[in-house]
Amino acid sequence: MLSEEYLVQQAINGNQAAFTQLYNQNFDRIHRYIFVKVRNRAEAEDLTQDVFIRALESINTYKWRDLPFAAWLFKIAHNRVIDHVRKQSKEKRAPLEEAYARSVEDPIQMTERDYEVYQLKMALEQLPEAQRDVATLRFIGQLSIAEVAQTLGKSEGTVKALQFNATASLRKALYGKLNG
Amino acid sequence: MARKLDDIFNECYERIRFGENLESVLRSYPQYRSQLEPLLRTTFDIGRRASFIQSRPEFRHWARVRFESAMQYPRQQPPVQARRVEAPMSSTWLRHGWAVIVSIGIVIMLGAGSTMAASSEALPTEPLYPVKQFTEEVQRVMAVSPERKAEFETDIANIRAVELQAMANAGNAAEAAKAAVRYDDQFERAVQTIIAAEGTETPSEVYVPPTTTGPIVTPPLETPPAPVTPPEVPSPAVTVSDNATPPAVVVPSDNTTPPDTSLVPPETEQEPPTVIDQQPPTTDKQPGVTEEQPSTTEGISTIEAQPSVTEEQPATATSAGSTKSSRAKELRDKLNRQKSTVDQALKDAKNKAENKDKPDWQDIRDKINTKRAAVTNTSNNQTTAQSDNKTTPSTDSGNTRSRHR
Repeated sequence: MLSEEYLVQQAINGNQAAFTQLYNQNFDRIHRYIFVKVRNRAEAEDLTQDVFIRALESINTYKWRDLPFAAWLFKIAHNRVIDHVRKQSKEKRAPLEEAYARSVEDPIQMTERDYEVYQLKMALEQLPEAQRDVATLRFIGQLSIAEVAQTLGKSEGTVKALQFNATASLRKALYGKLNG
Repeated sequence: MARKLDDIFNECYERIRFGENLESVLRSYPQYRSQLEPLLRTTFDIGRRASFIQSRPEFRHWARVRFESAMQYPRQQPPVQARRVEAPMSSTWLRHGWAVIVSIGIVIMLGAGSTMAASSEALPTEPLYPVKQFTEEVQRVMAVSPERKAEFETDIANIRAVELQAMANAGNAAEAAKAAVRYDDQFERAVQTIIAAEGTETPSEVYVPPTTTGPIVTPPLETPPAPVTPPEVPSPAVTVSDNATPPAVVVPSDNTTPPDTSLVPPETEQEPPTVIDQQPPTTDKQPGVTEEQPSTTEGISTIEAQPSVTEEQPATATSAGSTKSSRAKELRDKLNRQKSTVDQALKDAKNKAENKDKPDWQDIRDKINTKRAAVTNTSNNQTTAQSDNKTTPSTDSGNTRSRHR
């Protein structure tokens, strides 16, 4: 498997195959990250496509030494979500969508999974914004502490503290208790 | 303490991410096991729930298609991108600006055209009547030739007559009075343009010689009268022509140019007796010849030797003049046909008017009728005079007139 840095360099040089591979590596987690940050599936799909189109348009300005590619991609997604939520807050936000896990054949299992995803989104929404950003990037986007820190422009220590507190808050939100 | 726990928690989480099991990780920090284990299990649960979030297959497909299209687009359209970079926004606007301007122009023209068309039937009491008047003014400016002006003014006079009738029928005495004034002005304007179209002067300046049939408009004293031979009266020229009387050299029919009578002897004295007997009594005052005219004695042979010159020049003028006269006559007839309409309208307006206003209406009727009669008489005289002026103005030139006829 080619390294991400090499792929990125190839993509900058106009190699479409390299950029397609980067797309495939990051599509699902970008989509998940956006999905838990917005209200419904349609918004998540539109924003996901938009993130990759913007990345493609500005790949020539990307420099590896400044930011890892995944962090750069999540930064685009993060800013895009912020713009979207800000725009939505001026209008009437759509209700939180429950059902999502469509790939499961069993309707009961699908409903259970939809509910679990819905609970997760509700729990994340209850967090303070800083904790929510860290928790989403770290646990949903699967970024490293360094990447989260670079994406959010915070120190790694701050991110670690936010991560710890966010996890504790999520446990309380999901199970109603801090321990056990 | 808490700070340290953050680091420991993060280390444990990272180790689990890279494949270690929970029990192995917790064994490294047994003193924090009770705190770390529920948090680490929470992270497992979050990851498990997040794994349920899967994009729809159709969305994945179309997102991929769109992304690949976006990757290929810059390579397929580089010239367009280059042009877009080079072209400033103003030039882009200019490229499409003409279309916008033309579209706006078409909309305005269609709107104005529709309004003007709708206003053509407007009456003085209707909102579109000012538009109708404006349209007429535009058409008046566009009518360049005298003939077209005469036709246009005659048509407008007809329209004014119809408006007058409509206002009288509606019982609107005030508007009918205004319409009468407008008709009066337009009638006068129409007559002026008809006379101008004939190539003659305005009635006040026109000299109409005395005739045997028509009424006489007082001629200017300084202008010598021209003989008028009515069409129905047998012209003495016929006799002259038969007698081979030499025609005089024809002077262009300009009544305003007084011939120098002092240089020309009265030719009637040298006319054959038959000519003199049938000559109108005014012919002795009309020399009708200029100093270029040869003497009668010499003229016989001279004119006979050059008959073609005498015939050709007035023949062309007479042809054009007759066309103008016939057209002018048609326009005058058209104006006269309004008479019944206007008379009836004035009569109706007078009948419907209040008693105190009836004298005013009678004044309007009298004024219009007087003006119409005067203009009609003038026009008749003018027609007759013009008819004669297009032939030889001299009794001596009767031979020429007869040839023209």
